[in-house]
Amino acid sequence: MKEIKHQFSFPHPPAVVWEYLTDAELLAQWLMPNDIKPVVGHRFQFKTKPRINFGFDGTVYCEVLEVVPNEKLVYTWKGGMSKEKPLLDTIVVWTLTPTAEGTILQLEHKGFKGLKNYLPYFIMNKGWAKIGKRLFKKMSAV
Amino acid sequence: MATQTYDVFQVIADPSRRQMLQLLSEDSLTINALASSFDMSRPAVSKHVKILHSAGFISIQDIGRERYCILNHDGFAEVQEWIDYFDAFWKSKLKKLEALLNEKTGSHKL
Repeated sequence: MKEIKHQFSFPHPPAVVWEYLTDAELLAQWLMPNDIKPVVGHRFQFKTKPRINFGFDGTVYCEVLEVVPNEKLVYTWKGGMSKEKPLLDTIVVWTLTPTAEGTILQLEHKGFKGLKNYLPYFIMNKGWAKIGKRLFKKMSAV
Repeated sequence: MATQTYDVFQVIADPSRRQMLQLLSEDSLTINALASSFDMSRPAVSKHVKILHSAGFISIQDIGRERYCILNHDGFAEVQEWIDYFDAFWKSKLKKLEALLNEKTGSHKL
């Protein structure tokens, strides 16, 4: 399994659910502090608990890829020890479907790749040994 | 020789071991075949193989009379860990959203 999928039904029209996905304050009430805007190309961040021993400093870097008001929202979801070298490079897709009772909200979180996908990068990158050591030091310090 | 544990990054930091992983990502090889690709002694190759094995990057299997090194996906289990982490994360966050929206319904009826 390389992706996550969840579906929830809400007794509210899509427009209401949409607000909770795209308004920074409403989104922060249930997800995490953020500076989202439903504008394609907008870059924003979420702040969460770091998982240092896992190579994650707690900041999620996002960029809005697709906006269809009240229907669909897509953004990147990247994280790691820095913005430049994300260990986690994934995509979050929200889909809203109106029903007689309200809305079905579907979340897909996909694009998880393993170390294996980074092997060519490791092999090509001569600076890796240095990066690896630095990362190791950082992780050991915690 | 004292046994030493290496973390994933130390394992990959060594150029010979990276090259071994690359070769093994193309095909499983016997230790002899692997050794023939490197300009180092057979014991030196065996030592790297042992390190790769202990870190979970490869498994070693006897097939017929030969001992094969096979790229092991357990070394890459961290992906599953990320997925499990975010799976639980989203589940709990969406429950929170549900509670918030229900609260909203309670206070102002649609």
